[in-house]
Amino acid sequence: MVFLSLSCWIRSRGPDRYWKVQDIVKNAKHFRGRKNRCYKLAVKAVRRAFVYATKGRRLKKRNMRTLWISRIAAASREHGMKYPVLMHNLTKTSVQLNRRVISDLAITEPRSFLSLAKVARARQQEGFRAALGDGKEPVGVFSRVVLLQ
Amino acid sequence: MSSFSRSAQQWATFARSWFLIDARMQPPGKIATMCAIRLQGKHKPIYHAMSDCGDHIVVMNTKQIAFSGNKWEQKVYSSHSGYPGGFKQLTAAQLHHKDPKAIVKLSVYGMLPRNLHRHTMMQRLHIFPDDELPDDILANLTEELPQPREIPKQLSEFTQEEIDAFPRLWTPPEYYKMK
Repeated sequence: MVFLSLSCWIRSRGPDRYWKVQDIVKNAKHFRGRKNRCYKLAVKAVRRAFVYATKGRRLKKRNMRTLWISRIAAASREHGMKYPVLMHNLTKTSVQLNRRVISDLAITEPRSFLSLAKVARARQQEGFRAALGDGKEPVGVFSRVVLLQ
Repeated sequence: MSSFSRSAQQWATFARSWFLIDARMQPPGKIATMCAIRLQGKHKPIYHAMSDCGDHIVVMNTKQIAFSGNKWEQKVYSSHSGYPGGFKQLTAAQLHHKDPKAIVKLSVYGMLPRNLHRHTMMQRLHIFPDDELPDDILANLTEELPQPREIPKQLSEFTQEEIDAFPRLWTPPEYYKMK
């Protein structure tokens, strides 16, 4: 007897369930409890984790910037200046270093940071002289904006 | 210091210093801000909230603290014991009389961030009402911080020559009675 239709009765309900489950559960392996093993619980936990990660990527940029700012403020107060004065005068002298670089300089290159603070102080003094003086004195060296082309 | 080995340089960078502040004739709020900044480690360029980079602060002469204005009578420190009818209010003068360390301690406590590090930072704050410091703390001190407020000179501290040398602004008439 030959069964001509037996092969039609065997159904394959998706050959790759294992890998689809593993794709999700592998992201939950460091979780606590059954949600690091069982698919139904892991799906919810992994989705939540990914949502938190997305929100965290935006917060990380903000937090890093506030950290750089507080570090620069601490370092500038060591040299007798305040953070807003330092940054404002550095932008006025067209020093286009961002806060990340300035905070790294403050930690690893203290003398370079001191020189930046001195530049800012000199520009601040020039600004005071221009505001309080007669206007007949020439503007100082740091106030001349150099336009690079 | 650049000639140190890397481990020695790191040890020196993250070492905890001991600061001394004399609170004689100083406003307690200004003392408290200086303390709070240094207890958190925000005076260091290597600051991070998780790094535990705060320093120790020793405040002395807190008995001679000086509030400005009428705060000794007007500033009220409130507390509740948790039991009904346990709401207590003390003026700054009464609290200072009861415990000369409390005003500085409460000011610093309120200026620290409201997280779990707060109690650790308060443990690193050492307050003494008088000049006398214990020997082990004296041995640890590294730096004295300048006082935030200039103490004005009292009239009794001026010499007679300085008083005479001061220019007279107006001569009082004969019938004027000076106190």
